[in-house]
Amino acid sequence: MKELLRIGLKLEDELFTTVRLATGGVCSLAGLGLDDSEDCKVCVTEGLLLLMHAGYASAEIAVSERDGGLFFSLTGSEEGCAASSDADEISEALLAALAEDALLTRSDGRISCVTFSFGK
Amino acid sequence: MDERELFEKYRETGDIAIRNEIVEKYLYVASLLAKKFAGRGVEYDDLYQVAALALIKGVDRYDPSKGVRFTTFITPTITGEIKNYFRDRSRVIHLPRRVNELRSSIRRAAEELAVERGHDPSAKEIAERLGVTEEEVVRCAEAGGVVSLDHAISDEESTTFHEVLAAEDDGGIERLENREALLSAMKGLSESERALLRYRFGEELSQAETARRMHVSQMYVSRLERKLLARLRESLGEWGS
Repeated sequence: MKELLRIGLKLEDELFTTVRLATGGVCSLAGLGLDDSEDCKVCVTEGLLLLMHAGYASAEIAVSERDGGLFFSLTGSEEGCAASSDADEISEALLAALAEDALLTRSDGRISCVTFSFGK
Repeated sequence: MDERELFEKYRETGDIAIRNEIVEKYLYVASLLAKKFAGRGVEYDDLYQVAALALIKGVDRYDPSKGVRFTTFITPTITGEIKNYFRDRSRVIHLPRRVNELRSSIRRAAEELAVERGHDPSAKEIAERLGVTEEEVVRCAEAGGVVSLDHAISDEESTTFHEVLAAEDDGGIERLENREALLSAMKGLSESERALLRYRFGEELSQAETARRMHVSQMYVSRLERKLLARLRESLGEWGS
């Protein structure tokens, strides 16, 4: 599994556009189609929102090549304020609908890591 | 009444007033999902309308006895309809400003390359075709803005996009109407591909209904349909040349 990108960021809405652009770039590098790239950006945003609502103030995104596609791992890394939202359930369903192998890892009853794949 | 009671009562009575109450209660889901897909070249209002219609259809199909919460059930349904809408709208023409013009070119190039190469093209392939950088292609995917086919093609001319595009489309329709070409193109399709064509274009069923009949997910139907249409277009192109 070859790592292509690793970003650490504060979980603030203002930074999500930057993350979306970086995601688009890595999708392009990996040769994903435009539709898959757009879906991938939605999943990254939803994953970060879930971590933010779970009470993390920052997160780390790691993107690797795996099985001919891209594997995303989003991990909460710094404690912040939990603010669970009704929209979390929709975010989870959206991840399951758009991504391959979307997996939410929980520790102490809250989401701590979100992983999914694209383009396998 | 809680969620389960509302749905059970609606299933028992079929009372439209109850359905409307449910729809109003969950319209926020339609709004939320429409916002998440905004910025791909289609106005939020249009996406919201598509999402709201999918919500209404979903209320009829939802079975509370299966133990899945309604929001979990309806999210992929609405998402599927929004993605269908994007595909159906892929022929709309973007405003002739620098970014929007490039977005339009990207879409066209993507369609051409998909037919030529048999796969969804990457940003790199599109960039090479258009003679722009990969970065420009990626950045343009972030931009939005569409215009009706009835808009003038420029500020100076009254000619509409629709008028300009009509002749090209007529050629495509003529080819499609040629039974021999279509039959030839359909040779070699698998049983499931033929079933998909029959359900979607013979019986004109929705992707959701097609998925139910084929016992697969709507996402699978969507992907199979896209690939199948690209293959058929390619075959028809070869036949016509």
